[in-house]
Amino acid sequence: GAMRSRAEVDATLQTAKLNPAELLPAVHCLSFGPQAGAGDCCLLQLEPGLCAELEAGRSLVIRGEKDEQAVLCSKDKSYDMKIADTSNMLLFIPGCKTPEELKADQASCDIIHSQIAGFSNNYWELRRCRPKLKKLRKLLMEDPYEGPDSRKDQTLTFSKYTTEDLLSLIQASEEEILHQLQVIDACKIEGYWRILEFDYEMKLLNHVTQLIDSESWSLSKVPLRTCLEELGSLEPREMIEHILLSYGRKYIDDAGEVYFEMHEDKICRAIAQMLLQNAVKFNLSEFQEVWQQSVPEGMTARLDQLKGLALVDKTSRPETIFLLKVEDLPEDNQERFNSLFSIRAKWTEVDITPYIQDLCAEKQTVGALLTKYARSSMQNGVKVYNSRRPIS
Amino acid sequence: IHSEGAGGLAQWVLVELQGEVEPRQSGGLAGSLLGDLHYTREGVPVLIVGHHILYGKVVQLEKPFAVLVKRGAGEPGPAGPHMHYTVTALIKTKLLFKTRPKPIITNVPKKA
Repeated sequence: GAMRSRAEVDATLQTAKLNPAELLPAVHCLSFGPQAGAGDCCLLQLEPGLCAELEAGRSLVIRGEKDEQAVLCSKDKSYDMKIADTSNMLLFIPGCKTPEELKADQASCDIIHSQIAGFSNNYWELRRCRPKLKKLRKLLMEDPYEGPDSRKDQTLTFSKYTTEDLLSLIQASEEEILHQLQVIDACKIEGYWRILEFDYEMKLLNHVTQLIDSESWSLSKVPLRTCLEELGSLEPREMIEHILLSYGRKYIDDAGEVYFEMHEDKICRAIAQMLLQNAVKFNLSEFQEVWQQSVPEGMTARLDQLKGLALVDKTSRPETIFLLKVEDLPEDNQERFNSLFSIRAKWTEVDITPYIQDLCAEKQTVGALLTKYARSSMQNGVKVYNSRRPIS
Repeated sequence: IHSEGAGGLAQWVLVELQGEVEPRQSGGLAGSLLGDLHYTREGVPVLIVGHHILYGKVVQLEKPFAVLVKRGAGEPGPAGPHMHYTVTALIKTKLLFKTRPKPIITNVPKKA
């Protein structure tokens, strides 16, 4: 239709019995733009910080495959996306001025013909979420690296992932993904991120601990150079350095030499896993004896090193211990609790904490999770938690 | 989602109305008029839509909106074709019309 004229606007004001003297001189004549009904535009409600990121020119990415709920990722955070319905109609209008803008701009023309770009009765809402990182481990476990002698790597497989591949498949921000790769001791081999197959990893660790023993080195001063010289004929140098980085803290002394301070807890823990994975469960005291004998000279094996890896059953006679890895458990909160309660009906807070710690959202405590997903009771003077619902 | 390049993002305004928007003409919405938007000297938005006057207020949004425009499928990757969204504008202000519209009682139109 033709654009409205000043005369038409004034006539409408008169019919509406509005006094032009009480109004600002400028008027917006709103009409629907050509693409308004097409539904190509939608609204995204921004959490604090995201607006500034967009204005600074940074990108946000929406990630999620068909079977996944969409997740929005900034450079370092992840958000669940949900549609929020309103009972109202939201019209989005470019070039529409506020009263302040009109007053400030004395030269603003009388009639501003504004086209409505689109409208909606819903918008995307964001809620900060834990990055969905379990899939990262799952992808890398499809083809763990078994060492250079393994025949497997010679065949062409498509289960290898570059950083770009992971960015497109994992619902998390780039920073969260890179951080998690470090946490799980992944390494880049020929451009692909790989996890070491456990037996190979233990083989590498064993080379190092045996060398430490035969050289009588202090556990806090393991020289990189000598390790590479002595072990370089047995394993690739990158793998030797990788195992030192995974199980030690790298530092450089005043002379510029690279050393590693070995992580006693992490080494003892890995050796425990190696022992425990060979059977369903073990007699606790027998296990502790074998375990202490298996760890390097000078290290002390302690049960508290096994949080989130193994569980002690104090109700069985004799007491037993079995492997239970938190990373094998479901990622979803309710499913995690269901799984834990089907393994054991009643848990103390001390026992369950390592298995739910990773579920805590920003500023959420383990106590809050327990209140939400479990029911507490007293047993022999000790507070225990069980399921809120019957577990089949 | 990428923001439109240099020069910064456009600032749009949101107008929130009760009820639904329906085309008056059979041809659909495109091009059809919604109404006139005035402001009083005190800054109160006044919208005249058809035979109704709506009074509203200017609200600075605590959580601004980004306007996303679908840009169709990008290159296929291991996860399948990506849907690209571009941020076209930011909305930090809305005009909220919540009061019940006052009907305009028209007189017999004057002769032109």
